[in-house]
Amino acid sequence: MNRILAILLLFSYLGFAQTRMSAEAAKSLQQLVKQKAEETQTITSDFVQYKHLDFLSSDIESTGKMAYKSPDNVSWQYVKPFSYKVVFKGQKLLINDNGNKSKLDLGSNELFKQLNHLISASINGNMFNANDFEIAYFKENETSLVHFLPRDPQFSEFILAFHITFSQRGTVEEVKMIEPSGDYTRIVFSNRIENKTLPDAVFDL
Amino acid sequence: MRFLTFSIFLLLLSCAPFPKKMGYQPTSLDAREIRNPYFADVQKDYVYKANIIVFENNFGGILVLKKLADQTHRIAFTTELGNTIFDFTLSGTDFKVNRILKEMDRKILLSILEQDFRSLIQEEIVPLNIYTKNDSELTKTKIGSKTHFYTFKNDILTNITRVGNEKEKVVITFSEIDDRMARQIVISHKTMKLTISLQAIK
Repeated sequence: MNRILAILLLFSYLGFAQTRMSAEAAKSLQQLVKQKAEETQTITSDFVQYKHLDFLSSDIESTGKMAYKSPDNVSWQYVKPFSYKVVFKGQKLLINDNGNKSKLDLGSNELFKQLNHLISASINGNMFNANDFEIAYFKENETSLVHFLPRDPQFSEFILAFHITFSQRGTVEEVKMIEPSGDYTRIVFSNRIENKTLPDAVFDL
Repeated sequence: MRFLTFSIFLLLLSCAPFPKKMGYQPTSLDAREIRNPYFADVQKDYVYKANIIVFENNFGGILVLKKLADQTHRIAFTTELGNTIFDFTLSGTDFKVNRILKEMDRKILLSILEQDFRSLIQEEIVPLNIYTKNDSELTKTKIGSKTHFYTFKNDILTNITRVGNEKEKVVITFSEIDDRMARQIVISHKTMKLTISLQAIK
Protein backbone atom coordinates (compact mmCIF):
# COMPACT_ATOMS: atom_id res chain seq x y z
CA MET A 1 0.00 0.00 0.00
CA ASN A 2 2.80 2.36 1.00
CA ARG A 3 4.61 1.50 -2.20
CA ILE A 4 1.57 2.42 -4.30
CA LEU A 5 1.23 5.68 -2.39
CA ALA A 6 4.89 6.45 -2.98
CA ILE A 7 4.53 5.80 -6.72
CA LEU A 8 1.42 8.01 -6.85
CA LEU A 9 3.26 10.78 -5.00
CA LEU A 10 6.22 10.45 -7.34
CA PHE A 11 3.96 10.77 -10.38
CA SER A 12 2.18 13.80 -8.97
CA TYR A 13 5.58 15.34 -8.20
CA LEU A 14 6.77 14.66 -11.77
CA GLY A 15 3.51 16.14 -13.01
CA PHE A 16 4.23 19.32 -11.06
CA ALA A 17 7.86 19.43 -12.17
CA GLN A 18 6.81 19.78 -15.81
CA THR A 19 3.53 21.56 -16.47
CA ARG A 20 1.97 22.90 -19.65
CA MET A 21 2.38 26.64 -20.05
CA SER A 22 -0.62 28.92 -20.40
CA ALA A 23 -1.13 30.61 -23.77
CA GLU A 24 -0.16 34.00 -22.31
CA ALA A 25 3.00 32.62 -20.70
CA ALA A 26 3.95 30.95 -24.00
CA LYS A 27 3.42 34.24 -25.85
CA SER A 28 5.56 36.21 -23.41
CA LEU A 29 8.32 33.56 -23.65
CA GLN A 30 8.25 33.88 -27.45
CA GLN A 31 8.56 37.67 -27.17
CA LEU A 32 11.40 37.43 -24.63
CA VAL A 33 13.38 34.96 -26.81
CA LYS A 34 12.76 36.98 -29.98
CA GLN A 35 13.88 40.22 -28.32
CA LYS A 36 16.97 38.51 -26.86
CA ALA A 37 17.85 37.05 -30.30
CA GLU A 38 17.52 40.49 -31.94
CA GLU A 39 19.83 42.06 -29.34
CA THR A 40 22.42 39.29 -29.71
CA GLN A 41 24.92 39.68 -32.53
CA THR A 42 27.49 37.16 -31.25
CA ILE A 43 27.59 34.35 -28.69
CA THR A 44 30.48 32.26 -27.43
CA SER A 45 29.89 29.37 -25.12
CA ASP A 46 31.35 26.13 -23.83
CA PHE A 47 29.32 23.00 -24.42
CA VAL A 48 29.07 19.41 -23.28
CA GLN A 49 27.48 17.01 -25.75
CA TYR A 50 25.92 13.74 -24.62
CA LYS A 51 25.13 11.23 -27.35
CA HIS A 52 22.62 8.74 -26.04
CA LEU A 53 22.26 5.39 -27.79
CA ASP A 54 19.86 3.10 -25.97
CA PHE A 55 22.06 0.01 -26.33
CA LEU A 56 25.13 1.62 -24.73
CA SER A 57 25.90 1.46 -20.99
CA SER A 58 26.67 5.18 -20.85
CA ASP A 59 26.34 8.27 -23.06
CA ILE A 60 29.25 9.33 -25.29
CA GLU A 61 30.45 12.62 -23.84
CA SER A 62 32.35 15.29 -25.78
CA THR A 63 33.19 18.88 -24.92
CA GLY A 64 34.10 21.97 -26.89
CA LYS A 65 33.45 25.59 -27.74
CA MET A 66 30.65 27.11 -29.78
CA ALA A 67 30.66 30.50 -31.50
CA TYR A 68 27.76 32.21 -33.25
CA LYS A 69 27.63 35.38 -35.32
CA SER A 70 24.33 36.71 -36.63
CA PRO A 71 22.67 35.81 -38.92
CA ASP A 72 23.99 32.33 -39.78
CA ASN A 73 27.66 31.78 -38.91
CA VAL A 74 28.17 28.94 -36.46
CA SER A 75 31.37 27.22 -35.33
CA TRP A 76 31.39 23.99 -33.30
CA GLN A 77 34.83 23.10 -32.06
CA TYR A 78 35.18 19.77 -30.28
CA VAL A 79 38.21 19.66 -28.03
CA LYS A 80 37.75 16.40 -26.10
CA PRO A 81 38.01 13.46 -26.60
CA PHE A 82 38.82 14.30 -30.24
CA SER A 83 39.74 17.40 -32.21
CA TYR A 84 37.12 18.37 -34.77
CA LYS A 85 35.79 21.71 -35.99
CA VAL A 86 32.75 22.29 -38.16
CA VAL A 87 31.79 25.75 -39.39
CA PHE A 88 28.45 26.64 -40.97
CA LYS A 89 29.11 29.82 -42.92
CA GLY A 90 26.38 31.04 -45.25
CA GLN A 91 25.97 28.30 -47.84
CA LYS A 92 29.24 26.61 -46.93
CA LEU A 93 30.16 23.85 -44.54
CA LEU A 94 33.83 23.79 -43.49
CA ILE A 95 35.34 20.84 -41.64
CA ASN A 96 38.69 20.38 -39.94
CA ASP A 97 38.89 16.76 -38.82
CA ASN A 98 42.11 16.58 -36.80
CA GLY A 99 44.06 18.37 -39.56
CA ASN A 100 42.09 16.99 -42.55
CA LYS A 101 40.33 20.03 -43.98
CA SER A 102 37.36 19.92 -46.34
CA LYS A 103 34.80 22.32 -47.73
CA LEU A 104 31.27 21.54 -48.90
CA ASP A 105 28.93 23.80 -50.82
CA LEU A 106 25.44 23.26 -49.51
CA GLY A 107 23.81 25.70 -51.91
CA SER A 108 22.10 22.94 -53.86
CA ASN A 109 21.10 20.78 -50.93
CA GLU A 110 17.76 21.92 -49.48
CA LEU A 111 17.92 19.58 -46.52
CA PHE A 112 21.33 20.85 -45.40
CA LYS A 113 20.25 24.45 -45.95
CA GLN A 114 17.36 23.78 -43.60
CA LEU A 115 19.64 22.03 -41.11
CA ASN A 116 22.05 24.98 -41.16
CA HIS A 117 19.18 27.39 -40.54
CA LEU A 118 17.91 25.23 -37.68
CA ILE A 119 21.30 25.02 -36.00
CA SER A 120 21.58 28.82 -36.03
CA ALA A 121 17.99 29.14 -34.85
CA SER A 122 18.38 26.66 -32.01
CA ILE A 123 21.41 28.53 -30.63
CA ASN A 124 19.35 31.61 -29.89
CA GLY A 125 16.11 29.61 -29.71
CA ASN A 126 14.24 31.87 -32.12
CA MET A 127 12.44 29.16 -34.11
CA PHE A 128 8.80 29.81 -33.16
CA ASN A 129 7.53 29.23 -36.67
CA ALA A 130 4.21 27.41 -36.58
CA ASN A 131 4.45 26.59 -40.29
CA ASP A 132 7.66 24.61 -39.79
CA PHE A 133 6.99 23.14 -36.34
CA GLU A 134 4.29 21.83 -34.10
CA ILE A 135 5.18 23.61 -30.84
CA ALA A 136 4.40 22.69 -27.23
CA TYR A 137 5.34 24.79 -24.16
CA PHE A 138 6.16 23.53 -20.68
CA LYS A 139 7.28 25.08 -17.40
CA GLU A 140 10.01 23.11 -15.60
CA ASN A 141 10.93 24.54 -12.21
CA GLU A 142 12.63 27.87 -13.01
CA THR A 143 13.15 27.16 -16.68
CA SER A 144 10.94 26.87 -19.77
CA LEU A 145 10.96 23.82 -22.01
CA VAL A 146 9.72 24.02 -25.59
CA HIS A 147 9.19 21.03 -27.88
CA PHE A 148 9.57 21.73 -31.60
CA LEU A 149 8.36 18.93 -33.90
CA PRO A 150 9.36 19.47 -37.54
CA ARG A 151 6.36 19.26 -39.88
CA ASP A 152 8.44 18.39 -42.96
CA PRO A 153 8.35 14.55 -43.17
CA GLN A 154 11.72 14.52 -44.97
CA PHE A 155 13.28 16.41 -42.07
CA SER A 156 11.60 14.44 -39.31
CA GLU A 157 13.30 11.34 -40.74
CA PHE A 158 16.50 12.86 -39.30
CA ILE A 159 15.23 14.68 -36.24
CA LEU A 160 11.85 13.89 -34.77
CA ALA A 161 11.93 16.72 -32.23
CA PHE A 162 14.03 19.52 -30.75
CA HIS A 163 13.57 20.09 -27.03
CA ILE A 164 14.98 23.48 -26.04
CA THR A 165 15.38 24.61 -22.44
CA PHE A 166 15.33 28.38 -21.93
CA SER A 167 16.61 30.30 -18.90
CA GLN A 168 14.51 33.01 -17.28
CA ARG A 169 16.49 35.53 -19.39
CA GLY A 170 15.29 33.85 -22.59
CA THR A 171 18.66 32.29 -23.49
CA VAL A 172 19.15 28.66 -24.56
CA GLU A 173 20.57 26.46 -21.80
CA GLU A 174 20.12 23.08 -23.42
CA VAL A 175 19.17 21.57 -26.79
CA LYS A 176 18.04 17.97 -27.15
CA MET A 177 17.70 16.56 -30.67
CA ILE A 178 15.67 13.37 -30.72
CA GLU A 179 16.01 10.90 -33.60
CA PRO A 180 13.11 8.75 -34.87
CA SER A 181 14.60 5.73 -33.01
CA GLY A 182 14.37 7.59 -29.68
CA ASP A 183 18.17 7.97 -29.47
CA TYR A 184 19.16 11.58 -28.88
CA THR A 185 21.94 14.17 -28.67
CA ARG A 186 21.80 16.54 -25.69
CA ILE A 187 23.92 19.69 -25.72
CA VAL A 188 24.33 21.70 -22.51
CA PHE A 189 25.76 25.23 -22.80
CA SER A 190 27.78 27.08 -20.14
CA ASN A 191 29.96 30.22 -19.78
CA ARG A 192 27.89 32.12 -22.35
CA ILE A 193 29.29 35.47 -23.46
CA GLU A 194 27.17 37.76 -25.63
CA ASN A 195 28.06 40.50 -28.10
CA LYS A 196 31.82 40.24 -27.83
CA THR A 197 33.57 41.11 -31.10
CA LEU A 198 34.70 37.84 -32.69
CA PRO A 199 37.67 37.69 -35.09
CA ASP A 200 36.89 36.23 -38.56
CA ALA A 201 39.34 33.40 -37.86
CA VAL A 202 36.78 31.89 -35.46
CA PHE A 203 34.65 31.03 -38.50
CA ASP A 204 37.57 29.67 -40.51
CA LEU A 205 39.52 26.44 -40.24
CA MET B 1 66.93 -16.52 -70.16
CA ARG B 2 67.58 -15.06 -66.75
CA PHE B 3 64.56 -12.80 -67.25
CA LEU B 4 62.41 -15.84 -68.15
CA THR B 5 63.52 -17.70 -65.02
CA PHE B 6 62.80 -14.65 -62.93
CA SER B 7 59.33 -14.26 -64.55
CA ILE B 8 58.49 -17.93 -63.92
CA PHE B 9 59.69 -17.57 -60.33
CA LEU B 10 57.44 -14.50 -59.86
CA LEU B 11 54.50 -16.31 -61.46
CA LEU B 12 54.97 -19.32 -59.21
CA LEU B 13 55.28 -17.07 -56.18
CA SER B 14 52.09 -15.17 -57.00
CA CYS B 15 50.18 -18.46 -57.34
CA ALA B 16 51.69 -19.86 -54.15
CA PRO B 17 49.43 -20.34 -51.12
CA PHE B 18 49.13 -17.16 -49.04
CA PRO B 19 51.04 -18.49 -45.96
CA LYS B 20 53.96 -19.69 -48.12
CA LYS B 21 54.08 -16.31 -49.85
CA MET B 22 54.36 -14.66 -46.44
CA GLY B 23 57.19 -17.03 -45.44
CA TYR B 24 55.22 -19.20 -42.99
CA GLN B 25 55.69 -22.97 -42.46
CA PRO B 26 52.79 -25.31 -41.68
CA THR B 27 52.68 -26.72 -38.17
CA SER B 28 50.52 -29.29 -36.38
CA LEU B 29 46.88 -28.39 -35.87
CA ASP B 30 46.34 -29.01 -32.17
CA ALA B 31 42.93 -28.74 -30.55
CA ARG B 32 43.02 -25.27 -29.12
CA GLU B 33 40.69 -22.34 -28.89
CA ILE B 34 41.49 -19.22 -30.85
CA ARG B 35 39.68 -15.97 -30.08
CA ASN B 36 39.47 -12.38 -31.18
CA PRO B 37 39.36 -10.65 -27.76
CA TYR B 38 38.78 -7.07 -28.94
CA PHE B 39 34.97 -6.81 -28.95
CA ALA B 40 34.19 -9.60 -26.51
CA ASP B 41 33.26 -7.78 -23.28
CA VAL B 42 29.48 -7.28 -22.84
CA GLN B 43 30.13 -4.72 -20.09
CA LYS B 44 32.10 -2.47 -22.39
CA ASP B 45 31.06 0.25 -24.86
CA TYR B 46 33.61 0.29 -27.70
CA VAL B 47 33.65 3.87 -29.03
CA TYR B 48 35.98 4.98 -31.84
CA LYS B 49 36.57 8.18 -33.78
CA ALA B 50 36.41 6.98 -37.39
CA ASN B 51 37.99 8.31 -40.51
CA ILE B 52 36.86 6.83 -43.82
CA ILE B 53 38.66 7.40 -47.10
CA VAL B 54 36.69 6.20 -50.09
CA PHE B 55 37.75 7.06 -53.65
CA GLU B 56 39.70 10.19 -52.54
CA ASN B 57 36.77 11.39 -50.38
CA ASN B 58 37.50 11.78 -46.73
CA PHE B 59 34.86 11.81 -44.03
CA GLY B 60 34.65 11.21 -40.32
CA GLY B 61 32.29 10.14 -37.59
CA ILE B 62 31.92 8.03 -34.47
CA LEU B 63 31.76 4.22 -34.69
CA VAL B 64 30.21 2.44 -31.74
CA LEU B 65 30.34 -1.32 -31.15
CA LYS B 66 28.62 -3.24 -28.37
CA LYS B 67 28.43 -6.93 -27.66
CA LEU B 68 24.84 -7.59 -26.60
CA ALA B 69 25.00 -11.38 -26.14
CA ASP B 70 26.97 -14.37 -27.40
CA GLN B 71 27.43 -13.90 -31.16
CA THR B 72 25.34 -10.70 -31.18
CA HIS B 73 26.80 -7.24 -31.72
CA ARG B 74 25.25 -3.85 -32.37
CA ILE B 75 27.28 -1.47 -34.57
CA ALA B 76 26.30 2.17 -35.14
CA PHE B 77 27.95 5.05 -36.96
CA THR B 78 27.05 8.67 -36.20
CA THR B 79 28.35 12.07 -37.27
CA GLU B 80 30.40 14.02 -34.72
CA LEU B 81 27.29 16.17 -34.13
CA GLY B 82 25.32 13.05 -33.26
CA ASN B 83 23.15 12.14 -36.26
CA THR B 84 22.96 8.40 -36.87
CA ILE B 85 24.21 7.37 -40.32
CA PHE B 86 23.76 3.61 -39.88
CA ASP B 87 22.89 1.16 -37.13
CA PHE B 88 23.21 -2.63 -37.63
CA THR B 89 22.70 -5.76 -35.54
CA LEU B 90 24.94 -8.73 -36.43
CA SER B 91 23.76 -11.97 -34.91
CA GLY B 92 25.08 -15.37 -36.02
CA THR B 93 24.45 -15.27 -39.77
CA ASP B 94 21.73 -12.60 -39.43
CA PHE B 95 22.32 -9.02 -40.48
CA LYS B 96 19.66 -6.53 -39.46
CA VAL B 97 19.67 -2.91 -40.62
CA ASN B 98 18.07 -0.92 -37.79
CA ARG B 99 18.68 2.36 -39.55
CA ILE B 100 20.55 3.68 -42.58
CA LEU B 101 20.65 7.06 -44.27
CA LYS B 102 18.60 6.81 -47.47
CA GLU B 103 21.55 7.96 -49.61
CA MET B 104 23.66 5.05 -48.29
CA ASP B 105 21.02 2.35 -48.61
CA ARG B 106 22.79 0.45 -51.42
CA LYS B 107 23.05 -3.33 -51.50
CA ILE B 108 26.72 -3.36 -52.49
CA LEU B 109 27.73 -0.93 -49.73
CA LEU B 110 25.74 -2.85 -47.11
CA SER B 111 27.39 -6.08 -48.22
CA ILE B 112 30.92 -4.55 -47.91
CA LEU B 113 30.15 -3.16 -44.45
CA GLU B 114 28.57 -6.43 -43.27
CA GLN B 115 31.59 -8.44 -44.42
CA ASP B 116 34.09 -6.01 -42.85
CA PHE B 117 32.26 -5.93 -39.52
CA ARG B 118 31.89 -9.73 -39.46
CA SER B 119 35.66 -10.06 -39.93
CA LEU B 120 36.25 -7.41 -37.24
CA ILE B 121 34.07 -8.88 -34.47
CA GLN B 122 34.00 -12.66 -35.06
CA GLU B 123 35.00 -13.92 -31.64
CA GLU B 124 35.44 -17.69 -31.85
CA ILE B 125 37.69 -18.93 -34.61
CA VAL B 126 37.82 -22.53 -35.76
CA PRO B 127 41.36 -23.14 -37.07
CA LEU B 128 41.63 -25.04 -40.36
CA ASN B 129 45.43 -24.83 -40.56
CA ILE B 130 48.17 -23.24 -38.50
CA TYR B 131 51.50 -21.87 -39.80
CA THR B 132 54.47 -20.38 -37.95
CA LYS B 133 57.34 -17.97 -38.61
CA ASN B 134 59.69 -16.91 -35.77
CA ASP B 135 57.44 -15.59 -32.98
CA SER B 136 54.40 -15.23 -35.27
CA GLU B 137 51.58 -17.64 -35.91
CA LEU B 138 49.14 -17.61 -38.81
CA THR B 139 45.77 -19.34 -38.41
CA LYS B 140 43.61 -20.13 -41.40
CA THR B 141 39.86 -20.06 -40.85
CA LYS B 142 36.57 -19.38 -42.64
CA ILE B 143 34.00 -16.72 -41.78
CA GLY B 144 30.95 -17.65 -43.82
CA SER B 145 32.40 -18.69 -47.16
CA LYS B 146 35.41 -16.32 -46.98
CA THR B 147 38.93 -17.44 -46.11
CA HIS B 148 40.64 -15.44 -43.36
CA PHE B 149 44.11 -15.58 -41.82
CA TYR B 150 44.65 -14.45 -38.22
CA THR B 151 48.17 -13.28 -37.35
CA PHE B 152 49.24 -13.60 -33.72
CA LYS B 153 52.58 -12.14 -32.61
CA ASN B 154 53.64 -13.47 -29.20
CA ASP B 155 50.01 -14.60 -28.76
CA ILE B 156 48.62 -11.11 -29.45
CA LEU B 157 46.24 -10.76 -32.42
CA THR B 158 47.76 -8.14 -34.72
CA ASN B 159 46.08 -8.75 -38.10
CA ILE B 160 43.09 -10.33 -39.75
CA THR B 161 43.53 -10.81 -43.49
CA ARG B 162 40.71 -11.79 -45.83
CA VAL B 163 42.18 -13.68 -48.76
CA GLY B 164 40.74 -14.57 -52.17
CA ASN B 165 42.68 -16.48 -54.87
CA GLU B 166 45.65 -16.52 -52.44
CA LYS B 167 45.76 -12.71 -52.54
CA GLU B 168 45.04 -10.14 -49.82
CA LYS B 169 41.59 -8.59 -50.22
CA VAL B 170 41.16 -6.83 -46.88
CA VAL B 171 43.67 -6.36 -44.06
CA ILE B 172 42.58 -5.39 -40.55
CA THR B 173 45.46 -4.17 -38.38
CA PHE B 174 45.18 -3.87 -34.59
CA SER B 175 47.59 -1.67 -32.63
CA GLU B 176 47.89 0.28 -29.35
CA ILE B 177 46.67 -2.90 -27.66
CA ASP B 178 45.84 -2.44 -24.02
CA ASP B 179 44.08 -5.01 -21.85
CA ARG B 180 42.11 -6.85 -24.56
CA MET B 181 41.26 -3.61 -26.33
CA ALA B 182 42.78 -2.44 -29.61
CA ARG B 183 42.79 1.36 -29.38
CA GLN B 184 43.82 1.75 -33.00
CA ILE B 185 42.35 -0.26 -35.89
CA VAL B 186 42.80 0.13 -39.65
CA ILE B 187 40.59 -1.73 -42.15
CA SER B 188 42.33 -1.51 -45.48
CA HIS B 189 40.81 -2.80 -48.74
CA LYS B 190 43.37 -3.95 -51.30
CA THR B 191 41.05 -4.29 -54.30
CA MET B 192 39.28 -0.94 -53.96
CA LYS B 193 40.07 2.51 -52.60
CA LEU B 194 38.52 2.13 -49.17
CA THR B 195 40.26 2.57 -45.81
CA ILE B 196 38.56 2.83 -42.44
CA SER B 197 40.76 4.09 -39.57
CA LEU B 198 39.53 3.88 -35.99
CA GLN B 199 40.95 5.50 -32.85
CA ALA B 200 39.39 4.65 -29.47
CA ILE B 201 37.99 7.65 -27.58
CA LYS B 202 36.52 5.88 -24.56
